[in-house]
Amino acid sequence: MPQYKAMEHTALAQPFRRSAAAHALGQNIGLILVCILLIASILAYCGIYYAAQERLPGGFEITSTVNNTMPLVLAALAQTVVVLTRGLDLSVGGMMDLSNAIAAVTLSASLGSMVFWSVAILALGALLGLLNGVLVAIGRLQPILVTLATLSIFQGLAIRVLPQPGGAVPEAYTAALVSTKAPYALLYVIAFGVLWSAFRRTRLGVSILAVGNDAQAARAHGIDLIRTRIAAYTLSGMLAAAAGLFLAANATAGDATTGNGYTLSSIVAVVLGGVSLFGGRGSAIGAMLGAFVSSMIVNILFFSHIDPLYQAFYEGLFLVLAVVLAEAVGRLVRKAS
Amino acid sequence: MFARLFHSAEARRILYAYIAALALFIIGQIVRPGFLSPASVESVLLIASFVGLVAAGQTFVILIGGIDLSVPWVLNAAAILLATSSLGENARTAQALLITLGMGALVGLANGVGIAFLGVPAVVMTLAANGIMEGLTLGLSGGMTCESCASYAPPLVQALTHSKFLGIPSALWLWFAITLLVSIALSATRFGRHTYAIGTNARASFLAGVNVTATTVILYMLSGIFSALAGIMLVSFGGQAALGMGDPYLFQSIAAVVIGGVYILGGRGHYIGSVAGAICLVTLISVLLALNMPEYGRNIIYGVIILLLLLFYGREEEES
Repeated sequence: MPQYKAMEHTALAQPFRRSAAAHALGQNIGLILVCILLIASILAYCGIYYAAQERLPGGFEITSTVNNTMPLVLAALAQTVVVLTRGLDLSVGGMMDLSNAIAAVTLSASLGSMVFWSVAILALGALLGLLNGVLVAIGRLQPILVTLATLSIFQGLAIRVLPQPGGAVPEAYTAALVSTKAPYALLYVIAFGVLWSAFRRTRLGVSILAVGNDAQAARAHGIDLIRTRIAAYTLSGMLAAAAGLFLAANATAGDATTGNGYTLSSIVAVVLGGVSLFGGRGSAIGAMLGAFVSSMIVNILFFSHIDPLYQAFYEGLFLVLAVVLAEAVGRLVRKAS
Repeated sequence: MFARLFHSAEARRILYAYIAALALFIIGQIVRPGFLSPASVESVLLIASFVGLVAAGQTFVILIGGIDLSVPWVLNAAAILLATSSLGENARTAQALLITLGMGALVGLANGVGIAFLGVPAVVMTLAANGIMEGLTLGLSGGMTCESCASYAPPLVQALTHSKFLGIPSALWLWFAITLLVSIALSATRFGRHTYAIGTNARASFLAGVNVTATTVILYMLSGIFSALAGIMLVSFGGQAALGMGDPYLFQSIAAVVIGGVYILGGRGHYIGSVAGAICLVTLISVLLALNMPEYGRNIIYGVIILLLLLFYGREEEES
């Protein structure tokens, strides 16, 4: 909020070009911080786990942690694309509910059914994301309000599809998305990382970052604001639908309400991942790592025998501390370089 | 002194909100005869007053381009705190009320300090505060299993909230008084002018000598106090506190403020509008309930109508 003080770095204050290394450090400080955070939380987790179990976490623990984090990873990706345009997508949780509910009702054990319905659900996600995008970009409505309203609509549709928790997700589907044998799901994370690195260099990727940075300047450079925003929300809807599929695969059954909490936790993951809520700055890789930091914190709290009733307290405290520290470190680095 | 209120574009939005509320009441009467009976209108307005109290705080922070996501658990904590600190005894009423409102102010203070001094985005700071209050409430009450958790609100407070004055419930009188106070604060005081100035341009206000940080902190404190007040009213109405009772009030308070024509990025709008927004929203929900609409249908229609209202008058004037 104190944007009124944000005059520290004018061109006059920095008459000389910074070195390439310092520039890279300044540009990627969010990503570097989330890496440090992740390593620290993994070390803390291993330490606490060792103290409790007298051995280090093994394959089972790693696999289940990765699998449980996958829905949040996808939700964080969905949130990132929109946050980068200086928007906010509160409908992520509702979209996940809907996709989860449809998956539980439709998927059957045949390969054809699994492929067809997965594609259909992703397409539906893209379509509903498109709706958000059209309302925001052409309807000129505030993203937070549009997605608040569509959140309610998506949740209603999800309950209509699956009034009671139930349905079943075929074992083969679970094995394909979140194999319980080994943390194969990490391959998806790596694939998304590679895809993101390519995507942010495409025309659309650059446009999304530019719109979030400075919409006027972006338009002056010939970027179509409306088309870029619509594309971002469409992509977000599809990614949120994918998150719902991972949720279904994980739970092996459907529940039209489990996705609700993901709206807020996706924002937390994005913030921990160093993506600026003011748009234009950040990376999807950071957001995915932020998702893993979130679930490591839950693991740490679990194994340090903290009363689960206090869990939200520690998560909230940690979120504030992480943001305040990241801000302070980022400011120091930028000042030093 | 209410010149801002009669500023044409803003006044039009507020007028639309009142017309929408009236239209919803008439639709209610058509689909369910008796919806316009005094008793029914009174109960709709009573429920709207809870939303309206929270919306007062939300209006304050949204006017400076902020948001308060800590509403649900501040409200819930307040409801539980009032019951547990008074133990249902009249003798402890005054101190229980003070402790509860003080708790709301304290959370608001923490939010304000985090946002104004530490530069944490309002969404993140108040989201974290909500989690912190949720953890504290659940942990300290042992998940509502503590001995004093079964306490009722003091009978004195319960009787007061259920009493009527000149045939109108005292909860509505309270809402009316608060509407008056908030309107005067916004329209006729330096504090109000500073609030609008910060919402329009924080940097320019800072350069013009407005104490931006102090005003921001006070606004978030007010939001915390109003959430706590809503919690007190709810627990005195229902008698006992319950976990999760604050959850609906987050989205409803934001929706009420926006339907009432307050610009979500700050600087424009008035609490008079939020009052209409709260009435609109609660009437809508009551109409849908009167239609025996199943939950999924209510969710869908609720979302669609908010979108339609927004498309009707919530659009931004200029392309950003």
